[in-house]
Amino acid sequence: MIFRLSKALTNSFAICYVFFFVATAKVHAELKSETIVEANSAQWQQTLKASAGQSVYFYAWGGSKAVNEYLRWATREIAQQYQIKLIHVKVTDPSEPVSRLKAENGRTSAIDLMWVNGENFAYLKQQGFLLGNLWSAIPNAAFLAVDSLPITVDFGEPMDGFEVPWGIGQFNLIAENGVFQPPQVSAKSLLDIAKKKPRTVTYPRPPEFHGTTFLKQLLVNLTDADPRLYKSSTKQAQDELLPVLWQYLDQLHPYLWQQGKAFPSSAAEQLLLYQQKTLSMAVSFNPNQWQKEKSTQQISESSVRRYFADGAITNSHNLAIPKSAPSPDASKVVINFMLSEKAQQEKFSGVWGDPSVITSLLDEKATMPAHSELHSSWHVLIEDAWQQRYGG
Amino acid sequence: MPTARIRRIALASGWLLVCLISLLPILGIVVGLWPPEQVRFADLAPFLAYQGLSVSVSMTLFSAIFSTLISLYIAFMVYSQYHLSRRLQSFEKYLAPLLSLPHLAIALGIVFLFSDGSLFFVDSGLPRKGLSTLIIAIVIKEVPFFLLIFSAIGRQLPIKYWLLQGNALGYQDYRCWWFLVFPALLKQSRLALLAATAYTLSVVDISLLVGPNIPELFAVSVYRWQTSFAVGDQAQAFWGNVLLLVLLAVSVLILYAHEKLAQAGCKTLATQGSRFHIGIINPAFKAWLPMLAVLTAMIVMVFTLWSFGVNWHGDRFSLAQLTTRLWQDEWLFFALPLQNSLFIGLLAGLLGVALALLALELQRQKGTYWPDYYWLLAIILPQLSMVLGWQVMHIWTQGGYHSGWIILSHLPFTFAYAYLVLKGPFQSVEPRYELLAASFGYSSWQSWWQVRFRLLLPAIFTAFAIAFSVSIAQYIPTLMLGAGRVTTITTEAVAIGSGSQQDLIALYVLLQSVLPFMAFFLAALLARRFRGSMDGNNMGGHDVRHC
Repeated sequence: MIFRLSKALTNSFAICYVFFFVATAKVHAELKSETIVEANSAQWQQTLKASAGQSVYFYAWGGSKAVNEYLRWATREIAQQYQIKLIHVKVTDPSEPVSRLKAENGRTSAIDLMWVNGENFAYLKQQGFLLGNLWSAIPNAAFLAVDSLPITVDFGEPMDGFEVPWGIGQFNLIAENGVFQPPQVSAKSLLDIAKKKPRTVTYPRPPEFHGTTFLKQLLVNLTDADPRLYKSSTKQAQDELLPVLWQYLDQLHPYLWQQGKAFPSSAAEQLLLYQQKTLSMAVSFNPNQWQKEKSTQQISESSVRRYFADGAITNSHNLAIPKSAPSPDASKVVINFMLSEKAQQEKFSGVWGDPSVITSLLDEKATMPAHSELHSSWHVLIEDAWQQRYGG
Repeated sequence: MPTARIRRIALASGWLLVCLISLLPILGIVVGLWPPEQVRFADLAPFLAYQGLSVSVSMTLFSAIFSTLISLYIAFMVYSQYHLSRRLQSFEKYLAPLLSLPHLAIALGIVFLFSDGSLFFVDSGLPRKGLSTLIIAIVIKEVPFFLLIFSAIGRQLPIKYWLLQGNALGYQDYRCWWFLVFPALLKQSRLALLAATAYTLSVVDISLLVGPNIPELFAVSVYRWQTSFAVGDQAQAFWGNVLLLVLLAVSVLILYAHEKLAQAGCKTLATQGSRFHIGIINPAFKAWLPMLAVLTAMIVMVFTLWSFGVNWHGDRFSLAQLTTRLWQDEWLFFALPLQNSLFIGLLAGLLGVALALLALELQRQKGTYWPDYYWLLAIILPQLSMVLGWQVMHIWTQGGYHSGWIILSHLPFTFAYAYLVLKGPFQSVEPRYELLAASFGYSSWQSWWQVRFRLLLPAIFTAFAIAFSVSIAQYIPTLMLGAGRVTTITTEAVAIGSGSQQDLIALYVLLQSVLPFMAFFLAALLARRFRGSMDGNNMGGHDVRHC
């Protein structure tokens, strides 16, 4: 299977999972049979004792003030509760820790904990760079909402205890209310809006992750969620389904920002253009980003959230520990804290707004109707064909 | 003789030191690019078939060569307007603010101020993303760089004599500048041209922000492949880096060819006494520096207001929004990175300048100078692969993560920039002074220190300011060797810059500019107090008070 998930992230650090309908049932069975260490067990107490006084270097994207502030809060809490020093290593690109682990090739790592997703996770798991059995070693993993959220498979790659879900991403648009009248967006309504207000609509240039997901949402909408999109792609399915998308884009592109001759490089850049009122819409993987940006006056008060009528493509973003991490015990304690009710609550209701992954805090208002990911083979197909048709 | 032996040992260790630093780039690129086993020539086919590759490569090469040469000519015209005016001679200090703003900040400022949907709502026709925008942003930033280099070179050249001689032969001033001064300046600024071209060829951040992306510039594609671990992308990255090296070699050739052509052209025009009218527009370039000053002021003002919470496009725009909240919030978090940057920059800058002087002196004693591109490898080679190689070697040593490693990783860059500033001035130090010193019975060491070093001081200040700001600006080496243990203002600023929080981005851009600004400003002030051997207004009675 080919994994080619873009490393690009934004405020919600998007992760992708694929065909969880198929895979989750199997994983659930395995998960239930696993025994998760209990918080008051001797084994966990031992971990807590061993980890006091250690430092945890946490490699995580540093471009979002909201996430940075959340991690500053967590740092204070963790220092107080566990005498562990959490250090946020701000990276611009989640591939940075991956290339470091590759260079270290098994030697004692500089990384204790990392924020990881899709393609990078698949690569690290296949190379054997990650510490396993995290789900059974961390007490709070017992409260993960595996029954209601698609959080056991990461873009087609079963997590298998090599990473632990931390939060939820759902693809949505942040848009000007006056322009985006219908509450739910379809391919057709988007084209109408683009025609009515030309050059104010666009999407990040694929293979940027948001851009590719935008195309996937269009493809789903245009084909009425054809079941073949959720299975490994066949030549026939490609020939029947993809041309619909290209015909649509051929119509749409002349009305896009810069007439489709240039695209924002990232979702962050698109949001900046939206803030500067050059665009009438931006894209996000954080279902609550629109409210948080409004409350800090980053975007105009009239901004609304829109999602595709078929539901928002949904996935999780995760935490992992390298096998060669110098303080794995302390990292487990940090993950355990991140999954605690207090930390998950603060993550959702504080500055960040990232939805919770634990059962006790599941809130329907926090999320949108979910739509499953396409099969991962479509991901790479869409990206390559887009590059071939529009990218050169 | 023991002194001779000490001298030999000193010489040998000097060479060793210089070679080690200059070899680091080669070692880095060899280790960093060492073909992973899966790279085969079969992978070349999909690489070459990548849609838009040829357009992308030609755009990249064009933008690199064009923006460098345009900057060179603009800078020369500006320099010729300012050089001999006593009042304007110390124009360097006016360059300090612009030199200290990162490239990215200038690009961001320009598109915010002038492109579609801009602050002034005037359609200047400047696309938000496009080759023209990229070239303009780079030219605005490179012209002050070249001016600084010219100023360092000009201090050691008898420009005033040349102009007098030219005038005596009946040439107007502007012809003297083009026929007599330009060829000399061009030859001595060859290294700076190389550096500017290499930078533009491989720059990723501003290409992402304001460069065209249908197709993308080549460096952006290479960066994307290199940071992707999807099947096939690492092989693409390998061939992309190979092609990038070829492009660098090609642009070196183009620059050499341009130099030869320009010199031949000047010679022909001069001997034919041709009517050469380009000089007539020269006075227009007097306006360049004031324009730059206004632009810089506008950019800094925009960023300052952003950092104080002003949002032009917000629902309610008023100055009452001004708040120092963000500065107060962040103060706790930027003090330490700023301190680290200062410490690393000072050491890496000083060592870089010292090593560059050492390298030049050793070559002077030997009587032959090695090819320029060898000394500039750190700037010329693709940075990501090279630093990846260093990271691998650093991991082999298991030497921990601390500022020492970061200083070492900055050293090849500060060395290369110091070398490119110092080489011209070093070679053209007026030899009479040293002869004079020798005749007074000074030892060679005394004469070096008291005469050559003193005469070079203005250039050394410039070299240090550039080296220091180059060290401050390093992101990839700092992160890859420091592993997050040592945060600098740049690692913070670059991380913040990947987000979309306008006020925070502005705050960190300003912070990132503070230290280089102080360095450039101080260097400009200090450079005035010392003079080179050919300083413009002191041609008559040479005073030998330094001796």
